[in-house]
Amino acid sequence: MRPALLRQGLLITTRKASVPKPSILRACPPAAIQPITSIVRQTPRVATFHTTSRRAILPAGPQVLEGTANDPAPVPKPSPTHGSYHWTFERALSLGLVPLTIAPFAYGSLNPVMDSVLVAALLLHSHVGFTSIIIDYIPNRNHPRARKLFEWLLRLGTLVVGIGFYEFETNDVGLTQGVKRIWKAGSTDKVIGSA
Amino acid sequence: MLRQRAVQQSIRRLAAANLSTFNKTTSLAQLAPPVAIATGRHTQIRQAATQPTSPSDAYSILASQRLHRPVSPHLKIYRPQITWLLSGLNRITGSILSGGFYIFGAAYLVSPLFGWHLDTATLAAGFASWPLAAQLAAKMAVAFPFTFHGWNGIRHLIWDVGAALNNQQVIRTGWVVVGLTVVSSLALALL
Repeated sequence: MRPALLRQGLLITTRKASVPKPSILRACPPAAIQPITSIVRQTPRVATFHTTSRRAILPAGPQVLEGTANDPAPVPKPSPTHGSYHWTFERALSLGLVPLTIAPFAYGSLNPVMDSVLVAALLLHSHVGFTSIIIDYIPNRNHPRARKLFEWLLRLGTLVVGIGFYEFETNDVGLTQGVKRIWKAGSTDKVIGSA
Repeated sequence: MLRQRAVQQSIRRLAAANLSTFNKTTSLAQLAPPVAIATGRHTQIRQAATQPTSPSDAYSILASQRLHRPVSPHLKIYRPQITWLLSGLNRITGSILSGGFYIFGAAYLVSPLFGWHLDTATLAAGFASWPLAAQLAAKMAVAFPFTFHGWNGIRHLIWDVGAALNNQQVIRTGWVVVGLTVVSSLALALL
């Protein structure tokens, strides 16, 4: 039976007693009639219209509704670190990583300065990438506190990793030479001695 | 339902018993429609199921309805196509590379506290003792994300200048990236 018909039927049966009822209506005791609101809430009105099976990877977060459908979209506050400047910075970083990644293959490895530049660029590129992931998967509208938490965790992580790689770059052989050393460790042991 | 039908049937029985009231030949039924409407004879009464809801009630009903909507990512409903598969793979490979980079950097910083030996000489010596198959598998596990993300990053930079953006070109460059990734990652792993 369609929910609309069900509700109509219930509405008729739950009319006030001031209306003279036919005898057949009196057969049903008033206590057996369920309140309309509970029926409305219990009826899965949206899910029943979907034909594909529901396979939710994540459960839906809390639903936060701001304003009505007729409100205009809010205009974000302009900031020089957002928008095209941010985009250009990201592209410049990615573009800079292309020669920095090819150079070790061409020259065998990088000198300490260029190796540090590569590590710094990789760190910033990773930070930008992780930020995009946080923005995409933790919507600010539904989870504002989780968003803030993960943003600060990422900042802390980037700081810790930056200090860690400063130590690595100053105390060890550098990223490119280190990768080369481990990569060729299986083929010959001479690499370790010569590096 | 049953009660509605019972009321309807009793009205029909009433009409059959008192023909003069409901007969089509009655003068009232033959009046012009405006007059019939004015006299209230042809007014229709429809039972509408409405109930007053407070704004907070309406809010909670809408919020609970939205909980039943399909949740993104709803990947199973899309046909696998190279366009979106490589786009997802770009983020996955990037996460693997950056995740490994972050884990190593943080672990290197705290290694003195826990007595871990993460200097490259120790790591290389440890890696050299692995069986060849494990070495090749580990190298492929690093080389595949590295080469894919590199080649696909160049593909993204080409898009960023506004080139090769139609669907056919995106599909073609996608397969080029797949080919380059397979060849270069195998070459790196066998290096």
